[in-house]
Amino acid sequence: MKKLHYYSLSILLLSLPFITMSCGTKADPNKLSSELLPLEGNPLVGFRILLKIGSANDPAGKEGLCQLTLSMLANGGSKSLTFKEIQKKFYPLAASVGLRVDKEMSVFTGQVHLDNIEKYYAILKDMLLDPGFRLDDFNRIKTNQINFLEKTLVGNMDEQFGKEILNLLMYEGHPYGHHEAGNIEALEKITLDDVKAFYNEYFLQGNITVGLVGGYPTEFPDKVMEDFSSLPEGFTPKLDLPEQRQPNGLEVVIAEKKTPATAISMGFPVLLSRASDDYFPLWIAGSHFGEHRQHVSLLFQKIREERGQNYGDYAYIDHFIQGRRKYPATNYCRQQQYFSIWIRPLVNSNRHFVLRQALKELKKLVEEGIPRERFQEVQKYLLNYTKLYAQTLGERLGWQIDSHYYGYGDFLEEVQKKLPTLSQEDVNRSIKTYFNSNTIYIAIITDDAEALKNALVANTPSPITYANPNMPKEILEEDLVIQTFPLDVRPENVRIAPASEFFLKAGLPKTE
Amino acid sequence: MAKFTSLCLSLFLLLSAPLLFPSSKIFPYDYKIEELENGLKIVSIPLDNPNIISHYIIIRSGSRNEVEPGKSGFAHFFEHMMFKGTKDLPREKYDEFLTLLGAGTNGYTTDDYTCYFVVFAGKENLEEVVKVEADRFINLYYTEEMLKTEAPVIEGEYYASVSSPGRRIYELLRDTAFEKHSYKHTTLGYLRDIQDMPNQFEYSQLFKKRFYAPDNTILLVAGDFDHDQLMEYVRKHYSGWEPSNYILKTPEDPIQTQAKRAHYDWPTKTLPRLAIGFHGPAYSDEKIDKAALDLLAEIAFSRSSPLYQKLVIEEQKCLTLSASFSDRRDPHLLVFSSIVKKDEDLTYVENEIFKELERLKEESVSEEHLADVKSNLKYSYSNTMGTTDGVASILARYINLATDPGTMNKLFNLYEKVTTEDIREMAKKYFKKTNSTVVTLSGGKAQ
Repeated sequence: MKKLHYYSLSILLLSLPFITMSCGTKADPNKLSSELLPLEGNPLVGFRILLKIGSANDPAGKEGLCQLTLSMLANGGSKSLTFKEIQKKFYPLAASVGLRVDKEMSVFTGQVHLDNIEKYYAILKDMLLDPGFRLDDFNRIKTNQINFLEKTLVGNMDEQFGKEILNLLMYEGHPYGHHEAGNIEALEKITLDDVKAFYNEYFLQGNITVGLVGGYPTEFPDKVMEDFSSLPEGFTPKLDLPEQRQPNGLEVVIAEKKTPATAISMGFPVLLSRASDDYFPLWIAGSHFGEHRQHVSLLFQKIREERGQNYGDYAYIDHFIQGRRKYPATNYCRQQQYFSIWIRPLVNSNRHFVLRQALKELKKLVEEGIPRERFQEVQKYLLNYTKLYAQTLGERLGWQIDSHYYGYGDFLEEVQKKLPTLSQEDVNRSIKTYFNSNTIYIAIITDDAEALKNALVANTPSPITYANPNMPKEILEEDLVIQTFPLDVRPENVRIAPASEFFLKAGLPKTE
Repeated sequence: MAKFTSLCLSLFLLLSAPLLFPSSKIFPYDYKIEELENGLKIVSIPLDNPNIISHYIIIRSGSRNEVEPGKSGFAHFFEHMMFKGTKDLPREKYDEFLTLLGAGTNGYTTDDYTCYFVVFAGKENLEEVVKVEADRFINLYYTEEMLKTEAPVIEGEYYASVSSPGRRIYELLRDTAFEKHSYKHTTLGYLRDIQDMPNQFEYSQLFKKRFYAPDNTILLVAGDFDHDQLMEYVRKHYSGWEPSNYILKTPEDPIQTQAKRAHYDWPTKTLPRLAIGFHGPAYSDEKIDKAALDLLAEIAFSRSSPLYQKLVIEEQKCLTLSASFSDRRDPHLLVFSSIVKKDEDLTYVENEIFKELERLKEESVSEEHLADVKSNLKYSYSNTMGTTDGVASILARYINLATDPGTMNKLFNLYEKVTTEDIREMAKKYFKKTNSTVVTLSGGKAQ
């Protein structure tokens, strides 16, 4: 192979008129498939080895097994090399193996310069196809997974903790209803034999898609496909998921801890995915209501910009993970989706008011729809903003994979075709069909939970004060309405548990 | 009349040159630098990445500029105020403009600079972006009431990370290690100063006058555009901006003569943490000190280092072990940090780090390991520059330090020159016990 000098890669990435020909294979479900995006002349090569399994495949009582098994591959040794030796070999290449596990999809990622493609791939191949499954790797990785749940997630990252409580609440008794890392009781019981058995059960050709992007040699994909064909044929059928449980009115779970700030996440299942035509009008509604970390979000404007309550407030019509910058990450495809609102931490004294405000805005959206002018603005916004989504190699391949998962040739191209055809009425119809403001799961992390419960149940007025003595009259008038906005919270629908009891066992902690 | 200082001698040969003539530079793109009479510097990097443009405005002021008592966090607060619009284009209209543009946009504040970016599609939008951003920086307008409404947002931002022990230990390290320099506080600032921000309207006007001026600003544009066209827009919209001629004097920290130590009791269960800081040099692309220390950090504390392998992989005492030697305009800290798995191992890990630093003073590192580190650095940088935004965001960090993208190439040339003996000398020079500050954090006693 002709070696390119590594200094030149950046110019090449941006400059060459890449010859692009994306393709994916779909044939015998028992055999490997591929997603290829060759960019001739590009000096980088990106790998995405996709598995069509995730934490929803964890056996009951062994929650966290999928992530633990795949972490043993990404963060442990192969039969031929210890993890220490792998790190030493990867280091001069500035290479690594990344891993992301979601409910029904998991992906190993990597990127190297073309100079190093052979060296990197030889190691990657052995890590995935011939794993070492050493006991010391197992102990290290399992301890890290337990520590993450017990100490990091619960103690050190309230925003994420709130989202995970929402997941536990929304999917109680459902295969999605546990954290990808599992729970501590289950993890403590999982053995190295469980890991090996999980690997043998699910590392089947039909579960795997080999993704390659960049300037790899023409013959390289054949070599990879041949290597991965050493895996047994077969596939795991898509999970036959139970119907998503809709909330019974406003269902609240409060994790109590000593904290000056309250974190809130809330939402409900929505019966559509990106594959549906309805996704596009609902996307406009979601972007209008709460585009992730962008000024266009109505919640951001009302809660942060007008009132200075917190750092930001957003909403999503499907599962959202932030990728590069603030664009959506790819390869988190799911059969079932949910709508959610994320209220970033705010002082405890204002928690009731802001919860009311967000739900009042949602009610207004459901009842009145999107204003015509806003519809036009957001439609144009999404048409332009989505042009920024797929810039890096990983993003380009990631969107290609997601496009095919949901049945599109190129989803981002579809956006450019579909969005201009939509009307305000289409958006409002989708809001009426998929949104509501009466049945919502609400997850809260806060101090003095009992006081909040009492205030919610009694609909106690929740006035707030401002540092600005001259707040605009229209905002103060609106506040008078918000502070008494009724929420139908029934006492039996509020569960309180100490934060430290989450993730100890499967599901939500037992409450009184 | 603009002062032209082209550093770009070649024509734009982006389409074919690199394959045939591999560059020897870590920052391989052709670029131009121009300066208006009012002091505004323009760095332009036309790239053949169809239709995407990254427009960055870099104000060379960050928390380093908060030299007066009670003003910590002010640069970051002012970054928020920069989104309030102007009389011609109030916030709502500015937001509407960005919405229709479909831009990826935001700002961020660091120790040394504050950056505002607009990433967008379509070169036909370039003039409008230049015009609107120029209006914002020259004619920013907000009332005291608007400032009072925005100030609590900063408190909210503080609370957004209040559950992060990583932030707390870093705050404690800086506060303990520095005596006088404004690097003593983080960019977010002390909570007491954040809570006083609603009362700082007058100071905010002074802050703007001092630092939001063309002689303290770099406009960086990368992507699909024509340089001459860009300059036409810039001259048209920025020429009326008055320079401030303000010269900031940051206080010098006294030389540390005694080891320092501090501890923080975290209220809930958490993995214990350790951070050890040593006063180090400022960024330089000429002196060998910082370059040699950068390589030392990788040799001794990266994933490939013997200490990492021992503590993280073999003994499994630590979840993480890393070194962070930030590039700053003034002398900053060389920081070693670790998340440890058990409270009782904190002392052991601390001792192991000090032992490793002593070893580096006595023994030369191997030539092979040094070569691996140099290779890693080059590939790492190259990996991140695959998009216009990747180029712009990395460059923002460097041109803030040296105002010229060429500084990246100079720095990497320095890396090439670093010898094993340089590394030993720098270890002796900087890693003295009397120059150290050790901070620890552990928690769970309240539960």
